[in-house]
Amino acid sequence: MKAGCRFIAMGSMSAAAWLLWLLATPGWAELAIVGARVYTVAAPEPLENATVLVANGRIEQVGVELPVPFEYRRIDAAGKIVTPALIESYSHFGLIEIEGEATTNDASLLEYPLGPGFDVSLALNPASTLIAVNRMDGVSRAITAPRPGVDALAGLAASVSLGTGRFLLEPKTALFGHIGAASAELAGGSRAAVMQRLGRALDEAARFSPSRYRPGPGDYSRHDMAALKTYLRSGKPLVLAVDRAAEIRRAISLAGAHDLRLIVLGGAEAWRVRDALAAVGAAVIVRTHDNLPRSFETLGARLDNAALLHEAGVDVVFTAAETHNARNLRQLAGNAVAYGLPWSAALDGLTRRAAQVWGMDDVGTLTPGSAADLVVWTGDPLELTTWAEQVIIDGQAMPMQSRQTQLFERYKDLSKPYGYPR
Amino acid sequence: MRTRICALLAVMQAGLAVAAAPYESTYVPQPTEATLILGVAVFTGDGGALDRADVLLKDGRIAAIAEYGTPAADLQTTRVIDGSGKWLTPGVIDVHSHLGVYPSPGVASTSDGNEMTAANTAEVWAEHSVWTQDPQFGLALAGGVTTLHILPGSANLFGGRGVTLKNVPARTMQDMKFPGAPHSLKMACGENPKRVYGERMQAPMTRMGNVAGYRAAWAEAAAYRDQRQQFESGEAEAPPERNLTLDTLAAVLDGEILVHNHCYRADEMAVMMDVAQEFGYAITAFHHAVESYKIADLLAEANICSAVWADWWGFKLEAFDGVSQNAALIHAAGACAIIHSDSAEGIQRLNQETAKAVAAGRRMGMAISDAEAMAWITGNAAKALGLDDETGTLSVGKAADAVLWDRHPFSVYARAEKVWIDGHLYYDRADPARQPVSDFDLGQTVAGGER
Repeated sequence: MKAGCRFIAMGSMSAAAWLLWLLATPGWAELAIVGARVYTVAAPEPLENATVLVANGRIEQVGVELPVPFEYRRIDAAGKIVTPALIESYSHFGLIEIEGEATTNDASLLEYPLGPGFDVSLALNPASTLIAVNRMDGVSRAITAPRPGVDALAGLAASVSLGTGRFLLEPKTALFGHIGAASAELAGGSRAAVMQRLGRALDEAARFSPSRYRPGPGDYSRHDMAALKTYLRSGKPLVLAVDRAAEIRRAISLAGAHDLRLIVLGGAEAWRVRDALAAVGAAVIVRTHDNLPRSFETLGARLDNAALLHEAGVDVVFTAAETHNARNLRQLAGNAVAYGLPWSAALDGLTRRAAQVWGMDDVGTLTPGSAADLVVWTGDPLELTTWAEQVIIDGQAMPMQSRQTQLFERYKDLSKPYGYPR
Repeated sequence: MRTRICALLAVMQAGLAVAAAPYESTYVPQPTEATLILGVAVFTGDGGALDRADVLLKDGRIAAIAEYGTPAADLQTTRVIDGSGKWLTPGVIDVHSHLGVYPSPGVASTSDGNEMTAANTAEVWAEHSVWTQDPQFGLALAGGVTTLHILPGSANLFGGRGVTLKNVPARTMQDMKFPGAPHSLKMACGENPKRVYGERMQAPMTRMGNVAGYRAAWAEAAAYRDQRQQFESGEAEAPPERNLTLDTLAAVLDGEILVHNHCYRADEMAVMMDVAQEFGYAITAFHHAVESYKIADLLAEANICSAVWADWWGFKLEAFDGVSQNAALIHAAGACAIIHSDSAEGIQRLNQETAKAVAAGRRMGMAISDAEAMAWITGNAAKALGLDDETGTLSVGKAADAVLWDRHPFSVYARAEKVWIDGHLYYDRADPARQPVSDFDLGQTVAGGER
């Protein structure tokens, strides 16, 4: 059955597609990417005219003038740039297909009051079209998270791979929540109530016992409290979407009081409390373009947020905060550079630092033994007129196709009579 | 139209009191300093490029464009800027913006962009909602935007009149209003109107309901216009009772107001082209138009522009077939492509959005030059606003609306250094005194730095 399907698929494939299919097939995983400028990110300087050897899904060797074993498939990358593949630090991959269609949307709860116990890994759809669209622009991994819903604690996020193999990497990889006007509204109308509710829930969860817990109106259910207790013991980070400087300070205190590692999502005014963030080792997931005083919580938003945070020693990672266009991560990082962030720190925030922040030990640098997630770019990956020529995930050359390239092929020549296939 | 503007300016400059018609522009060009930019790379905005040129801005106009080193001005009386290694482009034009009507901060009390109370609100004018102290105007200026077209939202079949503004700090909307620019009519297809009204159990609830709504309104407008003409020609004793909704629609039928039609799907655009044909009006541009690439040949033939995003897709079903090559495919078919923002963030970097759109085409083997693509946010945009005689290209005689970029504007690292509107230097990255600060920003948390 399986072989039959493949045969049919091959019949309609172009030669290039056939080659890519072959490359993507297990057994063809030994690759040599030859001649590129390679940013391993592990080392501060790039290697010129270097070779990357990939075998069994892993980086085997990176160096200059490496001998290439004859059985390795060569990818000529002369004049190109190779970097680790990019990591999106906040997304809804596998949870949202079309924002406006509720039936394709599993990222948030609108009614049922599940808080910290909401585990998005149980809804992931690895067949989502968003995966290939963003993969072919160099994004290989993502944190897929619940979005703010009916509670200040939105739930548990998962880490995913955008490769053609496994999708879910790790469930319950972080607890997400939000502090600000939206959560205040949910908590009755004041930010103070949010802080009190969160503080109380974390205190009670630490000593939670199902038989003794008597939830009152508005309190978390036993399920939520059990999930919160498990989470507290997991050592996973607490990610809070919070913008106003004063609330970021309170978030730092809250996380500190419960011995949790804080990651700030957004943090429009994080630059104002950068020293406090640096002191506790809290990372910030920056959306560079967020410079509007779009609410009374972001009056201090500015384009050099990333640069100021980095300068103060805060770990800066990035999000496009728009899953359909997570591919714009490199534009966001590029703009951070335009507004003062060192180029190497921008690439770092898309790769190594993001991997560290999320506990993905096996990716983020091109180091022997790490998972072979890398991209051959036509030029500076942070630029707008370059693109990913070949994306490799887990040592497999990815098909450089998506639903969008198929639509393009169908309509690129309108002189052909309409029909299928065009 | 230039004549009309010049006449208006002449009257103003003579210091005479002008009894302007209601809501007319009171924009006054600010004093200018003759400025010569030497040895600068130029994108002219009409598809052309010059590797190294001297450009003279004088008396609010592009006075000369000459090969580098050709004496173009009296250097004693002219400010000289070294343009080497830099790029000069026309001022960027955004044909789809909600600045001022959906300002920052975006709270309920500032949400003035869409009169969602009836399917046809052709009587409302976006300019009557514009808050001139919206801090977003200044941020757009820092991104090189000199002209913007403010539209009502898209919940209605007919959302109301749009207005074109000059991006100048001003106390009143009238002080920003682009003199002589025609009004637009915002129309909307597809999901938005049928969702907003259908959910209230009102018409329209379906796409066919949408089209019935357009047709009924146009039929009524045509009758209204006939009655008015009959009165003017003496055939009727009395004019029809004044109707603000029909005033707008009749002005479209008279060719005085340009139709800007929010429409995503190719098949719906084709239906809208037939509606326009049935009632004898022209569609100037489809906005968002994520499927224009499917009918780019039809759009070229009908001379309708498509104002599109570089890469937005999938946020609703009618946007699901968005491709990054949309603008490139439209352009390649000989139709008019425009990159618009519809976003207070996107408007700050339309140059970058254009760069992504042209690169997406190149990635698939399409040969489109940077100079051609630059027209997507300048010359073509001016055309869609009916202002191509006045702005949108760097050519002698046109308004000195220009941006000096510190490097190629399609680089992610490029920033606008200087922005001129009618020859006045409104923005200078090196001079905080020439960086607008809105009233709202005073006394607040100071963003400062690189906001």
